[in-house]
Amino acid sequence: MNIARRLFRSPFSRACLSLLLVFALGLVFNADGAFYSWGTHRDMLRQVSVIGILACGMTVVIVSGGIDLSVGSVLGLCAVLFSLLTIRAGWHPAAAAGATLAGGLACGAVSGYLTGRFRIQPFLSTLAMMVFARGIAKWISGGQKISTALQTPDGSYTYVQVPPVFDLLSARIAGGHIAVVTLILAASLVCCGILLSRTRPGRHLYALGGNEEAARYAGIPVLRTTVLAYALSGVLCGVAGICQAAQELQGDPEAGSTYELSAIAMVVIGGTSLRGGEGSVRLTALGILIIGYLEKILSINAVGEETRLMLTGAIIVAAVLLQKKR
Amino acid sequence: MTGRGFIVAALALFTAALAPAQKARWTIGMSQCNLGEPWRVQMNADIRKAAEKHPEITVVYKDAQNDNLRQVAHLEEFVRAGVNLILISPKEAAPLTRPVADAYDRGIPVIVLDRKILGDRYTCFIGADNRKIGRAAGRWIAHFLGGKGNVVELKGLMTSIPGQDRNSGFREGIRGSQVQVAFEADMKWLEPNARKEMESALARLPKIDLVYGHNDPAAHGAYLAAKAAGRAGEMAFVGIDGLPQEGQMYVRQGILSACFEYPTGGGEAIETALAILGGKPVPREITLPSRVYTKENIDRGGEWLPE
Repeated sequence: MNIARRLFRSPFSRACLSLLLVFALGLVFNADGAFYSWGTHRDMLRQVSVIGILACGMTVVIVSGGIDLSVGSVLGLCAVLFSLLTIRAGWHPAAAAGATLAGGLACGAVSGYLTGRFRIQPFLSTLAMMVFARGIAKWISGGQKISTALQTPDGSYTYVQVPPVFDLLSARIAGGHIAVVTLILAASLVCCGILLSRTRPGRHLYALGGNEEAARYAGIPVLRTTVLAYALSGVLCGVAGICQAAQELQGDPEAGSTYELSAIAMVVIGGTSLRGGEGSVRLTALGILIIGYLEKILSINAVGEETRLMLTGAIIVAAVLLQKKR
Repeated sequence: MTGRGFIVAALALFTAALAPAQKARWTIGMSQCNLGEPWRVQMNADIRKAAEKHPEITVVYKDAQNDNLRQVAHLEEFVRAGVNLILISPKEAAPLTRPVADAYDRGIPVIVLDRKILGDRYTCFIGADNRKIGRAAGRWIAHFLGGKGNVVELKGLMTSIPGQDRNSGFREGIRGSQVQVAFEADMKWLEPNARKEMESALARLPKIDLVYGHNDPAAHGAYLAAKAAGRAGEMAFVGIDGLPQEGQMYVRQGILSACFEYPTGGGEAIETALAILGGKPVPREITLPSRVYTKENIDRGGEWLPE
């Protein structure tokens, strides 16, 4: 009994347990053996990568005691920006990526500045950014998806070549086993993990999330740390937006809507508390896998949307209750 | 207790949802781009009705919830599950072209429904000729308005080929007359969007003679917006789709002046699938015929459009 209690104590082991539970569900409801095929797991990793990248930034923000509701909209904005620069303006992909990441960073920095300088609650400042970024995305795209289809004067459509960077990003390497976007997710996890666990700004983030007033009195640069957290989230939205555009072969101003909810779910189910001051990227990695597997199991079993929505809601509550400290 | 109780409840719901289905000789995977449009719910219903008559096939239905990447995931899952045939109604042409080609190259026959993809790496396309329907609508509208008037065009998703075709066909149909498109907007096939766009049109234009919606929900949304503004009487409404419980009903109620049928092709999809599974050759493209419904001819079952 004592061992079991110790097993349940650390958030990491609780998350592992949840992941094992979901995996077991997959083994049982394997859709005629589809779950046993390595390809299914490979596909799941690829499908979960874009939102997983958002979850990395979300972890940093939540650890700092905030929340970022704008990640979906900034993803859409960056997807449009990247598509405009590469397809329409013909920029070099590195320059386009740089400009897109700068755009994401700017959005995040603004959110962070509003939160840190003017003491606006993160929920409200990022809600405003969510709406504003969606507006900018629709404005610069003219409300249209930026795709390789160009309208000609007589009203019909011609298709131009897809930029090679799109193919590169949506490709698989190592004999078709690892998707490039999954590698990007892994890199994001590692970078955010190192930031939070091994750097001074990382320690500041935890302190800020734990108790903002105490952090201020301890001499931690609160404004700078806040802006850092949200700016990092913004940059990762840019990365995710580029991956989204590459996979869809278009920049969709509506892309990413409701992604913020999935990203928050991944962080929370991993075990990071919404209160802030605790948690880690390791936990989010587990949360990403849990949500990824759940969606995959539902998809290979052709579960309809109605059931899927109800199940996801129930599972989120179940997972959080499982992780409550006794 | 509550925590554990919740987990048990979630597990129970999970088990109920994932109960395994019956096994049949042939498995057909059907990926629908969304079930938010009534026309697509009808397409799935038509497929289901046709499939029920053939117990040797099982159809697995997946809903992509209007997400391209989800639909790509469906194709991957169908290939991995080794289905005998794939039916797909894609959301957009460009993102789905390569995944469909992949499945086709692996030897799984793919029937594309309603919205075309690019290239020719698929077995068969079944759909009505949207350009012809758009042209017929344009000519009908030009005739109805006596050769001139202000028209509001509420367009479907313009990155989907039906949207492009219903738009370009319509422009061809009104060419040569003095019918003007005074306002156009992309409502992405959804009624709430159409209503919002129509409200903008009503605010901008003092005189609207007719609203041409790329589908019936769009025309209906426009009608609701006009009615709310007290201007429904000054204009006519035309839509495309012609579902009995929707477009045809609107014609009977006098909401739509005309409605052009866009058949779902659900029944034809199953017939063609059976032919392919039986080893018979099928044409590359099956064009479904279409009808126009107006108050005068609706009780006769509409009027077939000339070839």
